[in-house]
Amino acid sequence: MGGHNFRTVVTFEFLRTVTKRRFWVMSLSIPLLLALVVTLTTISSRSQNPTATSTAFAFQYHDASGLVTPQLAKAFGVTPTTDPATAVAAVRAGTLPAFFDIPADVGTAPVQVYGEDVGLIGNSRYDSVAQALVRAAVAQKIGDPRLARLAASGAQVTSTIYNKGAAVSGFASVVLPGIFLVLFYLSIVMLGQQMLNVTLEEKQNRVSEMILTTMSPTTLIIGKVIALVGVGILQALVFSLPVLIARLVAPGTVHIPGLSLSDIPIDPLRIGFGFVIFLFSFAMFAGFLVAIGAVMPTIRDASGAFSAVVVTMFVPLYAVQLVVNEPHALLPTVFTYFPLTAPVTALLRNALGTLSWYEAAIVVVVLAVMSTVMLRVGVRLFQTGSISYTSRVNIREALRRNR
Amino acid sequence: MGAIIEVRDFSMRFGDLTVIDHLSFDVLEGETFGLLGSNGSGKTTTIRALLDIYQPTGGSLNIEGHPFNPSQSARLGYLPEERGLYQKESVIDLMTYFGRLKGLSRRDAQAWSMRYLTEVGLPDKARVRLDKLSGGQQQKVQLGVTIMNDPAILILDEPTKGFDPVTRRLLLDLLDRQKARGSTIVFISHQMDEVERLCDRILLLKDGRAEAYGTIPEVQDKYGGRRIRLEFIGDLPASELYTPVVHERNYAELDFGEDTDPDQVLRDLLDAGVRIRSYDLTRISMEEVFLRVYGADAVKEA
Repeated sequence: MGGHNFRTVVTFEFLRTVTKRRFWVMSLSIPLLLALVVTLTTISSRSQNPTATSTAFAFQYHDASGLVTPQLAKAFGVTPTTDPATAVAAVRAGTLPAFFDIPADVGTAPVQVYGEDVGLIGNSRYDSVAQALVRAAVAQKIGDPRLARLAASGAQVTSTIYNKGAAVSGFASVVLPGIFLVLFYLSIVMLGQQMLNVTLEEKQNRVSEMILTTMSPTTLIIGKVIALVGVGILQALVFSLPVLIARLVAPGTVHIPGLSLSDIPIDPLRIGFGFVIFLFSFAMFAGFLVAIGAVMPTIRDASGAFSAVVVTMFVPLYAVQLVVNEPHALLPTVFTYFPLTAPVTALLRNALGTLSWYEAAIVVVVLAVMSTVMLRVGVRLFQTGSISYTSRVNIREALRRNR
Repeated sequence: MGAIIEVRDFSMRFGDLTVIDHLSFDVLEGETFGLLGSNGSGKTTTIRALLDIYQPTGGSLNIEGHPFNPSQSARLGYLPEERGLYQKESVIDLMTYFGRLKGLSRRDAQAWSMRYLTEVGLPDKARVRLDKLSGGQQQKVQLGVTIMNDPAILILDEPTKGFDPVTRRLLLDLLDRQKARGSTIVFISHQMDEVERLCDRILLLKDGRAEAYGTIPEVQDKYGGRRIRLEFIGDLPASELYTPVVHERNYAELDFGEDTDPDQVLRDLLDAGVRIRSYDLTRISMEEVFLRVYGADAVKEA
């Protein structure tokens, strides 16, 4: 019966969320918004990266440096002038779209750009075209395309860093263990409020007593948490749809700059610790939410306590520089082992490789104990609190009253 | 009939407050049992402890021989005083969920729900969200969830509270039907007419203790015994045999104790020259019992 009811709760809670139109509107709106932003950014960056043939307005220039050759000026479709003052006056009068005044030494003095106002966004094209013109002129002067590219973007560097004789993978090594920190953040942002709602809804709908005669509070609470995790996984899949579609439709268009998948090292120990720390952190967070939902009579009352827990959990991010640079200083150490701050600190340090295996083991034990205690306390408070419909529950009395 | 519910020496304290003090009673299989009392007398606390929602401070509360366990929910229907359902779900999904929790298969739960909805005139509301139904329609759904799968034991805490007359009638008919099927019904109510009509035995709780316990006539006898209702012509004489509780010009109600012979009362009245036009022998109403036990203020509160 217990297993049957557990499955029934998980199925009911999962389906009642994912069969709602609102869920899909909310979930699909995020990838659609992302796709829209990416598309607009791509279009915008293309328009911001002018070439000689894409210059969409005529302008005059005065070149004191002698860098711009007549051929280049022709390619850009522009005409030189020897009278900067007249050109500036023409721009001011609106008879000339733009005028660029290139100084004798472009390395020390700025190129003066004068343009007709075409709006906040549109005005930036003058700077872009001026930059493109000077870059092309310099490249032409250098002559060798490879040297020109080098002058424009600098040399490529490949580093090999050693730690106690072993090569360190650098940023690539952070990716896989770091996923659990991102997952923890996303699960709190996406599921936190929902979880608080589901722990309060029996009380708000006055359905607690009927439910509690059909199953234990533990079955109900754990069932709800598992269902929400399922909802979270589904949401994550929906959010990643644009990336998956892009990879299928146009492979090679989606990549992290400077990082290839084959460069990412797989460190089973750090990935394993990351997973376990994430799991117990989530369980502890769920326990806190159940306890808050059980004690407070309404979602409004519960929201204050919920915010306090979330803020405390993310306090280590305010000291992120210290956690990254001096992970064994007093404050990062306290953050690492204090249950509420342990998830973010330990997951961050684990991702950066500054959490040793024994430190990770201690954190796992702390979080395992704390999550077990919080879930048990949450369930016990729920048993009394879920039928306290109008007032806050006296925690001590509620814990004493129930097993 | 054996006891299906046994409460022995049950005590319940919240902090320093003793809500129930060494309470014992039985509910027999197949009977309708009334749990009565003024507000705060401990009725709901007793039911919650019986259903393992509260942990008793002392004593034992057993259903079918052992403390309640959710696995027994298939045989139990409970309508709490504070009641409601998930508002954002469709009626059929909601009823199917509770049916599943009571051990039915999905198909059986849906079939039972549709039969019930047809019976109460709501078959077209099966796919409608609960918060889109009227108050009366929601009450019918609530009742359906309570009696889902025809439970052997029904525990109803103030069942007619907040119900409109149609749903109240439906509830009383359903209770009659369940009783005919042999269900045991535990009934908490302030409606003394319902108690007199439905209950075989009752327990009156006062300050967490059993004030009276037994069949309705037994309890009525304890608080005033029997009564003669009388239509007469003449002057009603004072007597040690009876106490007039109602005395109008040609009508009176006379209470008398267990030891008094009603024939003797009537003979004395005739001897005093009273012409009796009609009379009947009855007991005091449960409403009066309630009034005598809890006082007028408690009745007003109820």
